[in-house]
Amino acid sequence: MIEQILSNMWYIRPEIALTITCLAAILADVFFKRKALVAGVVLGGLLASGVLLMEQYGVSAPAFSHMLAVDPFSVYFRGVILVTAMFVVLFSLSSVEINNPRLRVGEYYALIVAMTLGMTLMAGSSNMLMMYLSLELTSLSSYILAGFTKNAPASAEASLKYVIFGALSSGLMLYGISILYGLTGSLDIYAINHVLMTMGANRLALLIAGVLIMAGFGYKISAVPFHFWTPDVYEGAPVTITAFLSVASKAAGFSMLMRFMKVTFIDSTFAGPVGTWALIPGFEFTNILIVLSVLTMTLGNLVAVWQKNVKRLLAYSSIAHAGYMLMGLVVLGNDGFAAVLIYFVIYMFMNLGAFFVVMLVSNKTGSEHIDTYKGLGSRAPLLSVAMAIFLVSLTGLPPTAGFIGKLYLFAALINAKMIWLAIVGALNSVVSLYYYVLIFRNMFLREGTGSTEPLKFALSDNIILFLLLIPTLVLGLYFTPLVQFAQYSVAMFGVR
Amino acid sequence: MASYIPIFLMLAAAAGLGIILLTLHQVLGPKHPTEEKLSTYESGMSPIRTARERFSVKYYMVAVLFILFDIEVVFLYPWAVNFRALGVFGYVEMMIFIVILLVGYYYILRKGALKWD
Amino acid sequence: MMEFKILGIGILTWITFLPVLGMIVVLALPKDSKSVTRWTSLAFTALQLVLAGVIFMNFGRGIPGVNSLDGMQFKELATWIDIKSVSWFGRIHIDYFVGIDGISTPMVLLTALISFIAVLSSWNIEKSVKGYFALLLLLDTGMMGVFVSLDFFLFYVFWEVMLLPMYFLIGVWGGPRREYAAIKFFIYTLLGSVLMLLVILALYFSVAIVDPATGEKMHTFNMLAMMNPANFEPGSILAGLNTYWRYVAYVGLFIGFAIKVPIFPFHTWLPDAHVEAPTAISVILAGVLLKMGTYGLMRIAFPIFPDAAIYFLYPLAFVGFINIVYGALCAMAQKDFKKLIAYSSVSHMGVVILGMAAMNTQGMVGAMFQMFNHGTITAMLFLIVGVIYDRAHTRGLDDFGGLMNQMPKYSAIMVVAFFAALGLPGLSGFVSEAFSFLGAFQTFRWVTIASTLGIVLTAAYMLWTLQRVFLGTLPEKWKDLPDINGREMVALIPLGIIVLVLGVYPSPMLDIMNSSANALVDFVKSGSGLALLGR
Repeated sequence: MIEQILSNMWYIRPEIALTITCLAAILADVFFKRKALVAGVVLGGLLASGVLLMEQYGVSAPAFSHMLAVDPFSVYFRGVILVTAMFVVLFSLSSVEINNPRLRVGEYYALIVAMTLGMTLMAGSSNMLMMYLSLELTSLSSYILAGFTKNAPASAEASLKYVIFGALSSGLMLYGISILYGLTGSLDIYAINHVLMTMGANRLALLIAGVLIMAGFGYKISAVPFHFWTPDVYEGAPVTITAFLSVASKAAGFSMLMRFMKVTFIDSTFAGPVGTWALIPGFEFTNILIVLSVLTMTLGNLVAVWQKNVKRLLAYSSIAHAGYMLMGLVVLGNDGFAAVLIYFVIYMFMNLGAFFVVMLVSNKTGSEHIDTYKGLGSRAPLLSVAMAIFLVSLTGLPPTAGFIGKLYLFAALINAKMIWLAIVGALNSVVSLYYYVLIFRNMFLREGTGSTEPLKFALSDNIILFLLLIPTLVLGLYFTPLVQFAQYSVAMFGVR
Repeated sequence: MASYIPIFLMLAAAAGLGIILLTLHQVLGPKHPTEEKLSTYESGMSPIRTARERFSVKYYMVAVLFILFDIEVVFLYPWAVNFRALGVFGYVEMMIFIVILLVGYYYILRKGALKWD
Repeated sequence: MMEFKILGIGILTWITFLPVLGMIVVLALPKDSKSVTRWTSLAFTALQLVLAGVIFMNFGRGIPGVNSLDGMQFKELATWIDIKSVSWFGRIHIDYFVGIDGISTPMVLLTALISFIAVLSSWNIEKSVKGYFALLLLLDTGMMGVFVSLDFFLFYVFWEVMLLPMYFLIGVWGGPRREYAAIKFFIYTLLGSVLMLLVILALYFSVAIVDPATGEKMHTFNMLAMMNPANFEPGSILAGLNTYWRYVAYVGLFIGFAIKVPIFPFHTWLPDAHVEAPTAISVILAGVLLKMGTYGLMRIAFPIFPDAAIYFLYPLAFVGFINIVYGALCAMAQKDFKKLIAYSSVSHMGVVILGMAAMNTQGMVGAMFQMFNHGTITAMLFLIVGVIYDRAHTRGLDDFGGLMNQMPKYSAIMVVAFFAALGLPGLSGFVSEAFSFLGAFQTFRWVTIASTLGIVLTAAYMLWTLQRVFLGTLPEKWKDLPDINGREMVALIPLGIIVLVLGVYPSPMLDIMNSSANALVDFVKSGSGLALLGR
């Protein structure tokens, strides 16, 4: 037993690195009280964790008696989460909001690491208890981070709403987990699958359990109708945290949902063509997912049209993107999952980019209102062009990366002959164009009302901008490595 | 399903009894309200000010921190009982656990969470 | 076949990406060097025009192309994306595949010509010159790319690349309601193109060819492969002939292209876009962009879905008829000069649709030729409106009168353009319209007869416009309106010459198109699997 635990330590080395980083950040903060130092420690820790993660490339094994699964799938998502965390730390360094002298930045960085730790654990969890605990670790850290700029009333409101919704949905999820445990006698998702396969379960009870657990996941990925917290929290939280929530937290939620669905509810003895799956009888979750997906993207896109605050607009846009990605889950096949994986990396670059521009603009102007963007095209040309590219990519137009993301999603749907869902998705991206255009219409087509002075940005800001911009463009024209990596990373431990 | 019926009966009986008693005394009991009777009870004295007072946040801080570190002991007991069986591995693991908590303890000390004034 | 390389890179790549080079140069220029920017842009488009001339001279006449790889000229093929197959997902192979045949060559020539003229007529743009020309050159690449691509994925990328520059060119440099016009254009076109994207994907998963290098079966975006019914995998969604999904796919493609043409009822973006766009952009819009819709139908929709094309032939002819008559009636009711020409475009593109729907060689040649002629003639018309608008700052037809004596040179050019537009014999418009109607008459007698009403209406509004602008008394305020200047002449005269020459001697163009048109018609008819029904 002890030997097994000791030997399994290897599998959580990236997580151990994160834990040490978190402690080091706290100590560095209390000992030296220098913000840059804390950020440096955190950045170093994230980097170390990333390096350790790379060593797990190609591994596929269970760890700690099926508590965690270390497989290409979790490595991929943990990679996305770590890279996002690094970008968020970089953003934070130049955020005026965060570097307010009245705030204690040490805790901020430590909490970012704690949240990252929770999310990386989410990506690997293969036990319902582990899933719940890592979800809570992530949530608790994010509640505090959302309310971090505590002098801003909106931030406090955001935090409170987040806590209440989070508590409700994690309660629902816990209830679902307990029903599932009652039905199958296990918390290990592989064992649950085995029981469901061999003995079956009461259909109604299984449906209730499944829907309740989905509520928990739905809350994390902000799928309609569990999305109500999203706009308020995204608007109220500091931009850096909004960016973090919209990418990393969503990635973690998706990875957990995907693993749960695939391991628990897929017939593991199905002998059809490779890469296609069959549902186990009793719980046809695809229909639920189709409804969720259509509702999520349609509502997200339609409501975004009326938004005046760019952060809130991007919040609704991120809801819509969750809807697009849910389409990939409906396909029930490796190609759908691969499409989601591809989408996530692209979404990471373009969405972080858009939020970074929002942050830079609010650094200089103190506002996130859409009218602030008027005349920005002449005041900050580079920034505006970059923003336009990010937005075009979010819409999904070639030659940007966003197009490739959508292409693979639609390809998976069409290959599975789900034509009507693909048409709904495609029409949704037309709607999304309308509100993305509102932003660059203001930047280029409208004259500014206030100051016309050019905005100057630090070199470091421009470098970060290019770090996000270049992949957004390059992946649109040459996406071979990304696709290969994603196709490789679809593999999960223990399932076909 | 059948095995659950006694539990259900028990629940129903408990709930029913509560409801019956509450309604009975509402219906049967005599009511002669006076001002004295309706006032808030405070150890036999007339209440002097509002009961909804603010407490200093320090109480809560200490309470929360107490619970946090109190849990530590819960983990220490089983470890202490099995100390021999767990051996060096258990010792090291517990030290790691305590160091993590100590970092937290040091943090709250430096932040002045335990300062009363 | 034809090998034309400059620095080891094929001529079609050069002609497509030359404007992007120009764009980079323009962006690198300092901000305040307006005239250098203009001359640079002009130089790059002139170079492009020279390359187009080289293509015109060396293009092998009488080689049909359409669906045969060997018939494609100046072709270039290089692997762009190649993702190895995994056990559950086939290999993904996207080529950089360009080549031209008789359908695309006239469009390539037209694009080069119109782009050059658009730069010339943009000389008086003063607002952020650098941005304007950079976007114009990017747009140029997008247009050229659409006409040379033979890989559907590549085609789609170019098709979408045009959207953003166009949005900004209308939105930033346009008239008072520019924002509305720009977003309307953007949303309409995107709506069409997402439908196209889904069809592309459905085609991709239905078509599989054997990779010559490895012998492995793989899906492909190659348009020519999609045209071969043998390449459709049995059981795939678009396999077979005359199936439900094939019809759905054809309609999806059709809507995508119809929005660009624009075919009634998808035309409502056009008048707005034209009225608000600056002159040069109107010229490009009418001269090249509208042709992409009909080009797409000929290049893609017809040969890939011959069965559906034949099945929907009658409705196609009917929308052609509606376009002709409805466009003409709308044009007649306009008081705004530019809007009138915009609606005349709707009417004239209807002729192209009708000619295509005829599905015989005459009709097809007529349609192709009409595409080219309409490109040159409408370009002239919009330039003419631009000239008068620059001077008078109004486009109200009722504001003018008696300009004949005030601006004699201008009037002469305008008369040529107007007569060409109404199809006067001896000018190029006549030849193509005659072919189109002649072809259509053989297939759809009554629709064609009804459509000729459009010719009468066109003559009516064109002549009425001439009367309103040139005859009558000159209003006091236009007493010192200067005549057309040298730069404007340089833009208009070459177009006028083309219109005149092709009117009396159309064979340089017809020779290019003839065999391709013939081959296309034969291919569609034979591939349809339907005995030409619905006659």
